[in-house]
Amino acid sequence: MAEEAVKEIKVDRKHRKIGNIAPELADRCYTCGTCAGGCPATGLVPGWDPRKAIRAIVFGMEQEVIDSKWPWVCTLCGRCQYQCPMGITLMRTFRACRSARERDKVPGPIHKGTMMNLERGNNLGIPKDDFLFLLAELGVEMENDEEQPCPGFYVPVDKEGANVIVTINSKEPFGEPDDMKFWWKIFYAAKENWTVSSENWEGVNWGLFSGDDASMKVQVARVIENARKVKAKTILYPE
Amino acid sequence: MVSIFDLLKEYIDSGRIKLDKSKVQHTYTVHDPCNYVRKSQISFGDNYGELSRWVAKQCIDESLYREMCEDYMNNLCCGAGGGAWAMPYDEERLTYGKMKVDQIRDTGAEIVIAPCHNCRDQVMKGLGDEFKKGREGFDMGNYKETLYTWELVSMALDFEPWSEAEIEAAHAERDAQFERDGVELEEEE
Repeated sequence: MAEEAVKEIKVDRKHRKIGNIAPELADRCYTCGTCAGGCPATGLVPGWDPRKAIRAIVFGMEQEVIDSKWPWVCTLCGRCQYQCPMGITLMRTFRACRSARERDKVPGPIHKGTMMNLERGNNLGIPKDDFLFLLAELGVEMENDEEQPCPGFYVPVDKEGANVIVTINSKEPFGEPDDMKFWWKIFYAAKENWTVSSENWEGVNWGLFSGDDASMKVQVARVIENARKVKAKTILYPE
Repeated sequence: MVSIFDLLKEYIDSGRIKLDKSKVQHTYTVHDPCNYVRKSQISFGDNYGELSRWVAKQCIDESLYREMCEDYMNNLCCGAGGGAWAMPYDEERLTYGKMKVDQIRDTGAEIVIAPCHNCRDQVMKGLGDEFKKGREGFDMGNYKETLYTWELVSMALDFEPWSEAEIEAAHAERDAQFERDGVELEEEE
């Protein structure tokens, strides 16, 4: 029985990879427990903490980590990785565990949102016409604001030659539209030459959290493409 | 690509925006988002811990500032990072956030400045609402509200409306854009 278990250990020392995920240098772990001691998520998922997860991977039990709630309750805050005396990239490892999860088993809406984003340009599927109309309406509100009117304000969309192009967090047009005015007021006061894209304006990259590198890159490429299209010098990413 | 802090610092240093510290007079503290501080340091070799505090201190008098964590590289996550705000693990998220609750209580501050959408939602709608509902063990002390960094800046702004010529030029640009995009607003004026 014990010998069977030992066969499961797949340590590739040359590339410092263990099994199918890439917990760089995990086999260097001294099991000191610095990670687990400093991790605010220790104790939240019975049976797991960062040290145990790393040890499990070293012992070839990576599938158990991938199937557990651990990599998702961990907030990828990076304290463990920052303090690890052996330089083990724990945060990257746990994100790699997320990547290894089957897509239909990613908890919550982040995978669905990522797919929605690929299809419609933002995580919540807000249609272009609704978005443009909302921006126009909010612009009029700002002009006529009773406390601090901003006469001349409007939201410049796809404006050629803008200095700054801004991404938007879809939760704002969806549910907290007035929160977009904070930045807009700053731009008004600074007389910034700025703009927003009419499409693919999403600033929240859920692929980063769901461990979906391919989708994450598509979204980043879109943000850059939007900036190139209007020849904007600067991308502001207020995330 | 610039961060919000770089841009705000440029506006403030160059005088493009003017801030009036008398507009908000409450004690405040600054939370360190993992992505702007620790993970930025890990990934890019630099972080916004200092600058984030500096921007806040341009908006509210420094005498009202209350430090949350001197060692900002090791400050705690709000508890909703890495997508946890959207995940179906609410109890874990709130139990995790209890450490942030204690930190906020210990500062004695009324306002928490959060330079991140996700952290702001957790501190305001997650932790703050639970505290206000009286959740057991959730004591945030003097806490009253959470503000985005840029929300605080917009509150402290001291600005004049544009000149007639500027307004006219902006309206012309706006009208051309609306026509291009087929946006029609109901006229109220």
